[in-house]
Amino acid sequence: MTAVYYAMELRRTGRDVVNLFFTAVLPAFLYVIFGASQDYSTDMLPTGRGNVAMYIMVSMAAYGAVTATTGIGGMAAVERMQGWGRQLGLTPMRDSQYVLVKAQLGLTIALIPVALIYVIGFATGAAGELRAWLLSGVLVLAGAALFSLYGLVFGLAFRTEGAVSAASGSLVILAFLGNLFFPLSGTMLTIAKLTPLYGIVALAREPLTEGWLVATDGAAPVHDPLWVPVANVAVWLTILTVLAVLLVRRGRARQ
Amino acid sequence: MTTTTEPAIDLVGVTKTFTPVGRPPVEAVRGIDLRVGRGEIVAFLGPNGAGKTTTLDMVLGLTQPTAGRVAVHGRPARTAVLEGRVSAVLQSGGLLHDLTVRETVQVIASAYRQPRDVDEVLERTGLTALARRRVSKCSGGEQQRLRFALALLPDPDLLVLDEPTAGMDVGARHEFWATMRAEVEGGRTVVFATHYLEEADAFAQRIVMVARGRVVADGSTAEIRARATGRTVSATLPAATAQQAVATLRRRPDVVAADLAGDRVTVRTGDADAVALALLTDLGGSGLEITTGSLDDAFLALTADDLVGADR
Repeated sequence: MTAVYYAMELRRTGRDVVNLFFTAVLPAFLYVIFGASQDYSTDMLPTGRGNVAMYIMVSMAAYGAVTATTGIGGMAAVERMQGWGRQLGLTPMRDSQYVLVKAQLGLTIALIPVALIYVIGFATGAAGELRAWLLSGVLVLAGAALFSLYGLVFGLAFRTEGAVSAASGSLVILAFLGNLFFPLSGTMLTIAKLTPLYGIVALAREPLTEGWLVATDGAAPVHDPLWVPVANVAVWLTILTVLAVLLVRRGRARQ
Repeated sequence: MTTTTEPAIDLVGVTKTFTPVGRPPVEAVRGIDLRVGRGEIVAFLGPNGAGKTTTLDMVLGLTQPTAGRVAVHGRPARTAVLEGRVSAVLQSGGLLHDLTVRETVQVIASAYRQPRDVDEVLERTGLTALARRRVSKCSGGEQQRLRFALALLPDPDLLVLDEPTAGMDVGARHEFWATMRAEVEGGRTVVFATHYLEEADAFAQRIVMVARGRVVADGSTAEIRARATGRTVSATLPAATAQQAVATLRRRPDVVAADLAGDRVTVRTGDADAVALALLTDLGGSGLEITTGSLDDAFLALTADDLVGADR
């Protein structure tokens, strides 16, 4: 059964051209503007494992992937609240099957920006070790999976499609704050380490940077120990999970 | 085989209390005992907030009762759903607006092990012409027909309809019940909640009236009418003795009310035969008529009584 449902979900997502633009085309465009077409793009990172273009490529792929999963997580919550959950509750379909379909869907849709941007990156001068290519891609997808919880929380809390769009839109701000679009330094960097996108992007770039942060002002590079992004991800995973559980309970109590 | 004798629905002492966070608990269902036999067509009638939807949700396994026992074909409700023995048309929501009609039917069909043929179901519910239309572009009545199509997919023994014709115009409502009639000919059990008394009257064999989370009346449509209002007996009285005859009638214990308009008396009574006999013999009446009250009267009488009782 899940195959039919999954295929239908893919068709639905495919029809949503606006959404696909924001998840795939926009981040790819951002990569071309800030990565491929810049003079600094061919500079090697201090670790020597890849160049700046690749660093920006991973960042933009991560941005596209979290946009995809936030939208899917959020819409899943809204959909269920608006009665589709009751409709499915009348069939033998189990909740676990539903979650599985949505998880597969999230992964598939998140793969679109990652594949697109990695292909463009490969064609336009992003260079690095093979291990860094593969590992960063996997880490981007893993981080994006976590962000489906972010969308879920918004959907559960506000129950409207508008709230889900707002959640996706808020990712732009989180991306700036999370050291994703533009390398931060000083106080801004300290704040960045507390925001939810920082950890997953830092981890996705870890195979390239090994924790060395990129500076734009020519200052000596700063090293960020691995525990910082790991702790960031662990804390945000906990916060989002607890919120989601509390919101699901609230939803049940109101039935 | 024991399964063939199990009732379609068996509710014993079922209650449901919701406890919303930060607000006082709501007793939606306050103790319902109800047994629906196989092949029965039962209307669930009651005002808004009477507990109809909550009760039906428990029959469908969507909500667990706070107390009491729910059995559908002798099984827990969820088991009956998993076996495809019971399905339902829900009141609102429940559809994805960006799917087409056909895709919606296909997706739900894929959830069942042995669903009916998608095209056949579309045909039977008059949706074939709309198959490629987006759900968002369908009218309320068309969406309701789609929900009905989804409910037919498992070929259920028990069909639960929660206000199936809400939001339909008269024509769509008529068409809906015509389709429904064809679907129940195979001996399906049908339980439907409705606001429309004429629907209950026209389609159901039995009416269960609920108000404030309790069953206030349960019987055939004719019984329900009679129980609430009794019958109305009217006759023309001789002008000379009319006043006196009315006074006599009012003293009878089986008379609820007697009103005189001109020389015609109208008597509401629980025992129409005895009153008719008295009118024709002792009281000298002529032109006798006996009518049963309308279902609307019954509805108002029964639910109003309960409101008084509850507020006491």
